[in-house]
Amino acid sequence: MNTLLMPGGRYGVRARFASLNWWLIFVLSVIAAIGVATLYSVADGNWEPWAKTHAFRYALALTILIGVGLTPLRFWLSLSYPAYFGTLVLLLAVPVIGEMSGGARRWIDLGGFQLQPSEMMKIALIMALARYYHGLEFKNVSNPLYLFPPLAMIAVPVGLVFLQPDLGTALLIAATGLAVILLSGLSWRVTTLGAILAAFGAVAAIRLDILKAYQIKRITAFLDPSSDPLGQGYHLAQSKIAIGSGGVSGKGFMGGTQSQLDFLPEMQTDFIFTIFGEEFGLIGAFGLLGLYLTVFLIGANIAMRAKSHFGRLMSMGVSVGFVMYVLVNTGMVMGLAPVVGVPLPLVSYGGTVMLTIMGGFGLVMSTWVCRNQDTLRTSTSYYGKIDQ
Amino acid sequence: MRVEPFDTQRHMIFSRRAALFSGGTVLLFSGVGFRLYQLQVADHEQYRALADDNRFNQRVIVPLRGEIYDRFGVPLATNRQNFRVLLIPEETDSVAQSLKQLEQFLPLTDAQKERALTEAKRKRAFTPLEIANNLTWDQFARINFELPNFPGLHSEVGDTRSYPWNEATAFVVGYVGAPSERDLQSEADEENKRLFRQPGFRLGRAGLERTHDTKLRGKAGSTTVQVNAHGRVIEEYPHEADKPAQGEALGLTIDAELQTEAMRILAEPLLDPAGEELPETVSGSAIVMDVETGDIIVMASVPAFDPNEFNVGVTQSRWKEFNESPYKPLINKSLSGVYPPGSTFKLVTAIAAQEAGISQNFRVSCTGKIWFGNRFFNCWKEKGHGSVDMKGSIKHSCDVYYWTLAQQLDIDLIADVANRLGLGQTYDLGIGSQQNGIVPSREWKQRYFRSNPAQQSWFPGDTLSAAIGQGYVTSTPLQLAVMASRIASGRQVTPRIVRINNGGIVPTRRADGLLIEQEHLALVRSGMDAVVNEWGTASRSRLENPEWRLAGKTGTSQVMRLQMDPETGKRIKNEELPWEQRDHALFVSFAPFANPRYACAVVVEHGIGGSRTAGPKSRDIMRAVLTKDPARQRAFDPSRDKPVKLADLGKTGGGMK
Repeated sequence: MNTLLMPGGRYGVRARFASLNWWLIFVLSVIAAIGVATLYSVADGNWEPWAKTHAFRYALALTILIGVGLTPLRFWLSLSYPAYFGTLVLLLAVPVIGEMSGGARRWIDLGGFQLQPSEMMKIALIMALARYYHGLEFKNVSNPLYLFPPLAMIAVPVGLVFLQPDLGTALLIAATGLAVILLSGLSWRVTTLGAILAAFGAVAAIRLDILKAYQIKRITAFLDPSSDPLGQGYHLAQSKIAIGSGGVSGKGFMGGTQSQLDFLPEMQTDFIFTIFGEEFGLIGAFGLLGLYLTVFLIGANIAMRAKSHFGRLMSMGVSVGFVMYVLVNTGMVMGLAPVVGVPLPLVSYGGTVMLTIMGGFGLVMSTWVCRNQDTLRTSTSYYGKIDQ
Repeated sequence: MRVEPFDTQRHMIFSRRAALFSGGTVLLFSGVGFRLYQLQVADHEQYRALADDNRFNQRVIVPLRGEIYDRFGVPLATNRQNFRVLLIPEETDSVAQSLKQLEQFLPLTDAQKERALTEAKRKRAFTPLEIANNLTWDQFARINFELPNFPGLHSEVGDTRSYPWNEATAFVVGYVGAPSERDLQSEADEENKRLFRQPGFRLGRAGLERTHDTKLRGKAGSTTVQVNAHGRVIEEYPHEADKPAQGEALGLTIDAELQTEAMRILAEPLLDPAGEELPETVSGSAIVMDVETGDIIVMASVPAFDPNEFNVGVTQSRWKEFNESPYKPLINKSLSGVYPPGSTFKLVTAIAAQEAGISQNFRVSCTGKIWFGNRFFNCWKEKGHGSVDMKGSIKHSCDVYYWTLAQQLDIDLIADVANRLGLGQTYDLGIGSQQNGIVPSREWKQRYFRSNPAQQSWFPGDTLSAAIGQGYVTSTPLQLAVMASRIASGRQVTPRIVRINNGGIVPTRRADGLLIEQEHLALVRSGMDAVVNEWGTASRSRLENPEWRLAGKTGTSQVMRLQMDPETGKRIKNEELPWEQRDHALFVSFAPFANPRYACAVVVEHGIGGSRTAGPKSRDIMRAVLTKDPARQRAFDPSRDKPVKLADLGKTGGGMK
């Protein structure tokens, strides 16, 4: 029997459909539509090769979001650990069967569909950590002994992604995971101690040459863009010129000289914010940032209103992960963060990222639909204790 | 609904933390917003300027080169349309395939194909490759017909330098060539550097093209184009273009028609005594000057090269061929060839003798040889000339007479006269590489042998050699023409070749009188008249029209010592020696005798004898000059006249033959 159609809790599928958070879907769709329009402009006013595919992908991803959202939250709770370990297996498989691209092995080719396990891991890790803290008594949260399992859950995939090598994604995964730990209520004392230890670790990483030459170069180019005008710094310099020359009102749709004349590389992916900023100016960029912030706030609102700890942590984790994409990407193209290869959610061209994000918000949606379910029967032991 | 009491605490903490995260996020978004404000509002102007810098490029427009006209406004160097065929690699499937296809209706050399293929690899795919240029009209029409069904093929009409008179004016105008890497490096001016890099641009490489290069070059124009990141032009703005200015025109004193005729006469093969043509290429020079103004009407040097060939670019093998030829086709012998003047120098010695107080009636009995020092000096005429006076000595070119004079003359006086007549110096013609020649004197010899004290003092024997234009004396054809002009006019004529410069006619000034007694000059002139018209050494150079009456002086200068046949003890005839050992033939002349207007100097390298080869060539050249009489016709005035069209002269525009 199809799991999706199983009656969950007190609500049937039809009732759950009616209770979907349509605001969230609306705002996400507006952002995706901006993505389609921008990709259309990037291709000199052509639906090919990006805009059309992007639109189709969004339609598919939205279907998945709704599907995930209609599925009872407790199903996702029970799927948390299997999803995490499954993704971990895929991540382990990448070095063996992965496709090389740009000097790194990040993709698995699934017969025409390219899968990026490191992207999926972002969601899987949030699920697994939420699941872990969902079942952990609050008094144990700040107990170092109980801190090791989640840290290991973070460290293993981060290490694997780092070795691909993909520093940007690795850092984002780590940051999202740590955010979930913080949200679960880790005491500030332990947090501070951990931060100090992490700082020592970072210094050691640089000293021991664990960072690759190009990764160091990216960071130095960020600190001084003129040091290699035609390398990493070139992207950044041209990107700033594009955004800056857009002014308040922008150069108009399809009117960006920097982008239309190919001064910007890889516009359809990581640098897409520059063409948007160039063509729609400050007004457009503020509008887009506002939409992103709205998505985050809807997600945070859902998290705070959820009765289940799993739903709260997962919704907040997905929302925080989402704004991290936005902040790192926009910061990166404007010279506030190193160029680490982070896409702009729902606007940048790319299938796995879109599926990950929409899948993630599917989980948020499921939390919303099941926001009033406080108990999620699983085999966890403490329910027994309380019942006694 | 079941209550989970233990959940309350962690829910509270979660809510606090989530609020903290939300607050942090809003803060970070404000940071990004502030950065946007910085870029798009505060620093907007700066970034807008940078974006414009990116997309606008200044394109250089190559100016048309200034034209060079002859004295009647006939173009000697002009610009003609250059039909080129280009191929844009990105529009073709394969460059090699396209070349093969193109070959079906346009013959291509292996070098052309190879160059196109290597350039295709080096350059960006949208950069047009020049496959061939200087196409004929027929070829060009054929290409244009094929264009529609040949993707990537383009035809273009550009401008290129053209020398309609080909070899004839090679040494007068020089030639142009594409700037080399070294030219680029030595050029300090950035704008000039950009101009040098333009494919059609040419730099003056030799002759007037080189010395007047900056004027002829003109002013480059520029136009703004919008380019993309790869340098491809997206849009042009022709209305905002800064138009280029054509270079200034240069007008010469040369007469193109006579120049061509003189080149033809000079290059005619020499004849042996039996009237058979000698196999060697004629190598020599001819100069015709206006004795009043100093205008050089003809400056011929053979063999020559076709300057059009240099404009296109000569191949390595062709360059080698030019350089290794014993006839030196790249050297302008009129200015850079130095030859012992031989008997033409006797005119100098005769004037020096008169200035030393020796009478025109001083007679010497020539027996064919004279004893001096420890040996006999042999007159060119073995049997001797008998008794000759000064005029007779010029007419018969008697060596013994001048050796006798030499024993009474001081070399410094001879040198002084030679300098007054224009030998031993260069003239400001605006053409490079003139040779000085040598007018020996005591001071000169001391300087010349400064590393060899034993040779520094002047020996009487040196004067004997110098008196007949042998030994140390050397001169260029130009200097000999100046000497003839000065003897003919009695004035300090200086040669010039540029008539119109800086947009106006360069004024001529009547030259000052020569610091030589008229009486002395008159004797020399009558001696030269006798050479031609009183059965002297060059009687076959006489001109049939009595009004033209040519006066001249032959010269035969030894290249090697006189050679005796060891068996017969007789002199070996010159034509039996190898070409490079034969004597040079010279002839200086002026006409008409009564009222001189033109002077001429002809040198035929290894031409055996002045009277046999140089004389007749001078006669033919002077006949052509006197028939046209260019000095008495109104010359070209750019403010009133239009330049002559080549088509009116029955020429199609020249260029590569």
